[in-house]
Amino acid sequence: MKPTAVTRALLLGYGILVLAILYLPIVAVGFASVSKARYLTFPIRRYAFDWYGEAIASPTVSDLLATSLRVAAIVTVISMVAGFFGALAYARYQWRYRRLFQKLILLPIFFPQTVLGLALLIWFNAIGVTPTWKTAVIAHLVWIGPIATLVIAIRAYSFDPALEEAARDMGCTTWSVMREVTIPLLMPGVISAGLFAFLLSWGNFPLSLFTTGADSTLPEWLYAKMVSGYSPLVPTVGMLSVAASALLLAIGLTLPALLRLLRGQTTD
Amino acid sequence: MRPNVLEASAPAAIKAPARTILTIAGLEKTFDDFTALHGIDLHVQDGEFLTIVGPSGSGKTTLIRLLVGMETPTSGSIWLRDQRIDELPPNKRPTCMVFQSLALFPHRTVGENIEFPLKIRGTPAAERKARALELLTLLRLPPDYYSKRIQQCSGGERQRVALARALAFDPEILFFDEPLSALDYRLRKTLEKELKDLHARTGKTFIYITHSLEEAMVMSDRIAIMRAGRFEQIATPDEIYARPVSRFVAGFMGEVNLFDVTADGTDMAGSGLVIRPGLAAETGLKGPGTLVVRPEAVRFLDFGEAADFQIQGVLHAEYALGSRLQYEIDLADDRKGTVEVLREQRITGKPGTDVRLGWDLSSCHLIKGA
Amino acid sequence: MDRLNARLGYLTALPITALLLLSFVAPLVVVAAFSIMPQKVFSLAHLPDFSAYGEILRQGYWRSLIWSLGMAIAATAILFVISWPLAFAMAKVYRRFTLVLTVGVVMTLFVSENIRLFGWVLTLMKGGLIEGYLRSWGFAGFDGLLYNVPVIVFGLVYVYFPFMLFPLAQGIAMVPDDAREAAVDLGASRWQLLREVELPLAAPGIVIGCLLCFVLSAGAIAESKLLGGQAVIVMGDEVETAFTYGQNWPLGAALAMVLIAIIGAVALFSVSRVDLDAMFGGRK
Repeated sequence: MKPTAVTRALLLGYGILVLAILYLPIVAVGFASVSKARYLTFPIRRYAFDWYGEAIASPTVSDLLATSLRVAAIVTVISMVAGFFGALAYARYQWRYRRLFQKLILLPIFFPQTVLGLALLIWFNAIGVTPTWKTAVIAHLVWIGPIATLVIAIRAYSFDPALEEAARDMGCTTWSVMREVTIPLLMPGVISAGLFAFLLSWGNFPLSLFTTGADSTLPEWLYAKMVSGYSPLVPTVGMLSVAASALLLAIGLTLPALLRLLRGQTTD
Repeated sequence: MRPNVLEASAPAAIKAPARTILTIAGLEKTFDDFTALHGIDLHVQDGEFLTIVGPSGSGKTTLIRLLVGMETPTSGSIWLRDQRIDELPPNKRPTCMVFQSLALFPHRTVGENIEFPLKIRGTPAAERKARALELLTLLRLPPDYYSKRIQQCSGGERQRVALARALAFDPEILFFDEPLSALDYRLRKTLEKELKDLHARTGKTFIYITHSLEEAMVMSDRIAIMRAGRFEQIATPDEIYARPVSRFVAGFMGEVNLFDVTADGTDMAGSGLVIRPGLAAETGLKGPGTLVVRPEAVRFLDFGEAADFQIQGVLHAEYALGSRLQYEIDLADDRKGTVEVLREQRITGKPGTDVRLGWDLSSCHLIKGA
Repeated sequence: MDRLNARLGYLTALPITALLLLSFVAPLVVVAAFSIMPQKVFSLAHLPDFSAYGEILRQGYWRSLIWSLGMAIAATAILFVISWPLAFAMAKVYRRFTLVLTVGVVMTLFVSENIRLFGWVLTLMKGGLIEGYLRSWGFAGFDGLLYNVPVIVFGLVYVYFPFMLFPLAQGIAMVPDDAREAAVDLGASRWQLLREVELPLAAPGIVIGCLLCFVLSAGAIAESKLLGGQAVIVMGDEVETAFTYGQNWPLGAALAMVLIAIIGAVALFSVSRVDLDAMFGGRK
């Protein structure tokens, strides 16, 4: 009944192969970013980090970074709050329109993002709002808010409603139940939802495309350059964006352990 | 599908009597650094109801998983009559199992569950349905259950569906992995009797594992008691009840009084016990031994009354067990004694009263050796 | 307790519901309204007509629609086949490697999809990672692997792989081990086990995975633009062109509506058949 050693080895090999293929294009971009040549061809003859210096010094790039960062940060905060409450409605409370609500949450995720971006553009136009990075925040939230909700909902499903009932039984008000029991128990879910929200917003392109107006995010600029003509800065800025994600992810993954370490030291 | 014949016949050394259906020879199973089964041997007779009893971790679940083919043995062999089957995958073995969780397919109706093994073999639909309805009748389920969903069935009904599905497979041996453990007491008692009855009616070989010796007693022709990957005793229920081979087996049967004794050939002695002189000669005990005394064999001695064995104690509490009463007695050295009497024999003493207990050699069992 | 539950349900659902009503449902209503405006107008203050939909039929936009849906179906089918063994291994075979794979795959999601697609351009183009190195090792050079339909499908498969893998793994994890063991014990072969037990019991995960991949692929633009060049024009591209260069909002809106209608019908039909509680919470 159990898979044989050969099956196991084959499946493991397959998994490693898939991972390798997933990362191959990122590696290609990485190589391209350190090529000295203005017009890239493989194999790369001369390596140089010049383009990184140029990218970091460029005011365009720092504008792009600032816009992307601002959008992602606001999207993260709103997603965490709305997602926390939304997850409770999704998973925890039994109420009349729960099934309908669950479908409403899933629908935007299933929606083609470019079409969603265009629909938002028309909508902003119809209500007389000029698109800027602020409208991009709204656009990102339509897609990322539901994802944050689902991430927290998975956590909310796994906790026992009896815990809340016990707290209430011991005299807690609705608010203190939330503060003493619900929020601490869902916190890991909220933090991973925040991480997801930031990273998805940071890398998102199809939603930003039509909704940023005159402002531009990093992925948008990259796309424009890729479609309209090659710039040697494209791989470099791409790698900077990847590096920023990786850095944040590393912090996000090690932060809980660090906090635990710190807390452990203060209480001992 | 029938198993392939891997070897012409079982080696002569393990060749068993003609009616043997299952032979286990030197079966050993190790997981990493843990040995679950230490080279065990067993013969099961055709048509027998054999129950394997053991506490959790005794290896009984590993044994049954080896027997049905979910695990492969580290060494040793399993023979079905003259065919070696331990190399065969479960779907090539003519045996099947009723799972602890029952493992009914939640996406199938009762009828479809029962028909599953027939469908796998390519039996025509009409024939399948006829057989499923027959099995529903055999298991005392109304025919309209055929199209019910599994989720609509109660615990006891699911049990019957799982049995019907296993019988539809028409196995040479039917294995049971504690299928009754999740049910409430009364339903369990009913189903134990039904299972015994079903065994009689179908004439199939049943191999059942459980952690409850009580359950095993009700149903089995023979009981094998497992401990730490070995068989401690294999015998009929009567034999196990009357003559347990070890303290472990004796203690498995619920409440029992155990006393360490030593003998020098003529006299026997034990801590706190007053023993009739010369008793050791009657038992033939030399050296250490253990007395196994069932609570119902012990009686309260009146003043001046004698018994082969006597011990002094203090009444601790009285518990009502239906038609019987149970008394817990504090003995010397922080030991406890248990006495069970019929309700009519209730004693008048309150907790704290001194009592004297006694029993005779004929009503207890002596395990020789340390 | 029940009444409190219900009240808290409404209250906690409020923020995200308000957000989605204002910036998801309302825009769709506006798009629907624009789709029945006369051609080339930029406000809703006109008498409705269905000329935009007529234009779709006349101008042969259905060709783009067929390409989009066809490539989406192909990508979904390929994704299902290549993801199943991996999802199965994640749910039932791997131990630690499941976590490695999960983290590894999720991390790629955080890299903007156009950076990853650009990476494939660099890999597959003439003078790219593959062709360039092959040539330098003495193999015959070739024209690069870009700008055709198969490479667009490959791009879709690549980008939407996580959206198939994780729902499938979740679905397969929902197949109880004892049901699989029981089926084999009752004589099922590997193939019968797959058909009779694993596929039906993993159905919720299969439905969600296929649906996600189909829907996202059908609306995708970047894959065809970056990898496909001018090989085919997909539906999302047509929508974008009508809104931007074409300056014909009603046409764009009508094209979007057609896409939304097809995707919405498929999505609603499938989602209504899946128990969302069981899918996310494993509640029995």
